[in-house]
Amino acid sequence: MFNPRDIIEILAANVRQTKSPFGIPKFMVNTWYKDHSLPKEGEYLLFTGLMYQFSPFIETSTQYLEKYEDTKTADYLKYAKWVPGYISGMGLAMMTKGKEKRKAGQPLKNIAYLLQKSKVNFGYRPDLDNYSGILLYDMGDQKGFVAHAKKVAQKLKNAGIKKIITTDPHTAYALKELFPKYTGISFDVKPYFELLNFEPKDCGLEVTLHDPCFFGRYLKASDITRKQLSNMGISVTNIRNQGEFTSCCGGPAESISPSLSNEIMDKRATELEEPGKPIIAYCPICLGNLKKSGAAVEDLSTLLARHA
Amino acid sequence: MSLVNLDFAEELKEYSGDTALECFNCGTCAAICPLVNDNFPRRMIRYIQVGAREKILENSDELWRCLHCGLCTHTCPREADPGEIILGLKRFVLANWRKS
Repeated sequence: MFNPRDIIEILAANVRQTKSPFGIPKFMVNTWYKDHSLPKEGEYLLFTGLMYQFSPFIETSTQYLEKYEDTKTADYLKYAKWVPGYISGMGLAMMTKGKEKRKAGQPLKNIAYLLQKSKVNFGYRPDLDNYSGILLYDMGDQKGFVAHAKKVAQKLKNAGIKKIITTDPHTAYALKELFPKYTGISFDVKPYFELLNFEPKDCGLEVTLHDPCFFGRYLKASDITRKQLSNMGISVTNIRNQGEFTSCCGGPAESISPSLSNEIMDKRATELEEPGKPIIAYCPICLGNLKKSGAAVEDLSTLLARHA
Repeated sequence: MSLVNLDFAEELKEYSGDTALECFNCGTCAAICPLVNDNFPRRMIRYIQVGAREKILENSDELWRCLHCGLCTHTCPREADPGEIILGLKRFVLANWRKS
């Protein structure tokens, strides 16, 4: 296990300096929309919170953390907070494979396609799409989270945004529950899958759904995904820990203790693999972590886009 | 030896709700926690109840093993909200670290 204080101070300094927990400049992280001609205006604003885009960088940093956990080298981590965020971020960006960076944007392209196919009136503004600060909140850096969240919320408010579509559970929770409480600014927040509207189909498939904690338990949104899948003739296997009682993928522990994260991840992957059906996740953290375990898992948006 | 701080629950109110005193130590949270680790989070809640402020600071690293998955809060029969209590303790410990 790493010293939590070292990790928190690095993340907090990065968010303060670069608005990103990893210090990577936004123009290097958020590129998925560039080969799409998405409208800028609409009834809803598509807001990714950059979480899918961060996943390859999380994977790279976790690989290094895994190497040094519980070694003497881990003690030097406390000096990392003195390295300017952009410099460590650029380093992390260069150590991450281009192929992985391109792949990370695919779920977002799928989501944009699904929303367009469902005739949802939405726009995308890269300048307004920022990290929500949720990791600082989860780590207990309340001051850091509130300061960052206020800037993000104010920017959205100034742009006249009232309705937001989110793509991942962590950003959805931050915008729906935490922003009103800690910034005083509220939006009408909906996860993308709530707005999808397709003709019923019969795909004749069966999948095992891994509900992320924040969609399954905190936001109680797991019935919505099941209804969408059922509408396409895709049934969901029954496993012991699902819906409101879903089990964590281990992802939240990966910066503090990669070994603990792997332990939790393996337990969950075994449970998900038991029915022998394709595994579907709908959170970039869960997706990355379950893939790491070797499980055959894909994102909900990929499955839906293939059959819509 | 650690001293008991009778005002500790009061001090914690700045960082979280005051639900720790609702807990009757049934252990459901520790049983359902994916960490399955040494009575976590029950032990931490007990420390709050008895005012063992220093014990929490001594064992503070343990708090960051919490995944914030919310299973303990979802199943707590007393609605004591163990997940939020642990999050509040993280805030309290971090504030202490930053003061030191």
